[in-house]
Amino acid sequence: MIGIATTFFWIFLIAFAASAFYSIKDLQFDFGDPQVSVTPENKLLLSMPITITNVGYYNIGFFNVTTEISDEEGFTIIRGSTLVPIIKKGDTVITAHNMTIDVNDLLQNHQNFLFNDTEVRINEMIGMRIAEVIPVQASTNFSEPWGAPLYNFALGEIEYSAYNLTHLRAIVPLSFENHALFDLTGNIQMRMYNSTDSLLGEGQTTIDAAQNSPYNGYIELYVPSAGITANGRFEVDFITPFFNIGPLVIPYG
Amino acid sequence: MAETEDGFKKNLRKFWYKALKATIKGILFYIFYFVLWSFLAPVADVIPGLQLMIETFVIIYIILMIIGELASGTIFQYFFNGAKALFVICYLILSLNGGIFGVTFQNISLSIDLRLFLTIAILLSLLGFAKSVLQAVNYLNERTEYTRF
Repeated sequence: MIGIATTFFWIFLIAFAASAFYSIKDLQFDFGDPQVSVTPENKLLLSMPITITNVGYYNIGFFNVTTEISDEEGFTIIRGSTLVPIIKKGDTVITAHNMTIDVNDLLQNHQNFLFNDTEVRINEMIGMRIAEVIPVQASTNFSEPWGAPLYNFALGEIEYSAYNLTHLRAIVPLSFENHALFDLTGNIQMRMYNSTDSLLGEGQTTIDAAQNSPYNGYIELYVPSAGITANGRFEVDFITPFFNIGPLVIPYG
Repeated sequence: MAETEDGFKKNLRKFWYKALKATIKGILFYIFYFVLWSFLAPVADVIPGLQLMIETFVIIYIILMIIGELASGTIFQYFFNGAKALFVICYLILSLNGGIFGVTFQNISLSIDLRLFLTIAILLSLLGFAKSVLQAVNYLNERTEYTRF
């Protein structure tokens, strides 16, 4: 009697395991192209549409996609997860794997991302429970290029011209390339200090640099001619909908 | 002389019967494996070494089953049945890496948690092993009683 019961259980166990694994081939995943958009809070929203079609013999439980983006040193920048509790057999589930990046937070902590094109590491994990009982997980990692919004940011030579008896007009050329995933608009504010740390003047300009395009502009400042020294420093603030960074100290002379 | 010849014929018939039974069992088991493999074949493309792993298991299992069947009616039948159960436990634990089966190809690593399956398989094998031990004890008991009488 025990023998019959044991044989029955063995057959059931093996048939269940085999059919559960066999039904994986009837599971179809379709990962769409990632879309980048901006939320009303001016955060970057990365969205990847996922379509799962389960025409296997069993339900799929706890389908989850986890993405972890980290910098070159392995510091986690963002981690996002999407969970579909159950995909019934014969069903098609359409979902989106969303991740929100607070660019301001990111750039405050990693100024390298502001000025330099670099790479980010992406860890992608997909997990599910076949027939709701057998956990399976697949993971992969790869690198993606990161485009800096202020790539190659530089200030040119200051050009002075007469303004009135006491002040000069100083024109400071500035240039950069926007390699980021978004169009960059906003303000650049600048303060000019001489070698004795006295504030000579301040000015600002609006910027509008489309994705993957260079920007060339200038900032106009009115500085007292008596206070000008051969060297000093500029303090630059970047105020955009995505980030507020500053002051960035750039010496001149 | 006629009695000895009769006994020899009887033993030969018995042996052929056992051999036939072992062959049928082996063939049935192989057919079961064949059917099962048709289900597992798509997975085998993804997991290299799976076919070799299962084939080795099937070959050793069939050999132990045939030897056990040929040794039926003796104490060795229970030894081989017990060995079969222990082999299943050890082979599953070793080949499934303790229940977490992992494989890496190209840049993708795949891990399958088979601990539940392994636990049930081990429990069933232990049941089979316990059954073999009890049957061996029972066999020895019956033989002792038979010798006394």
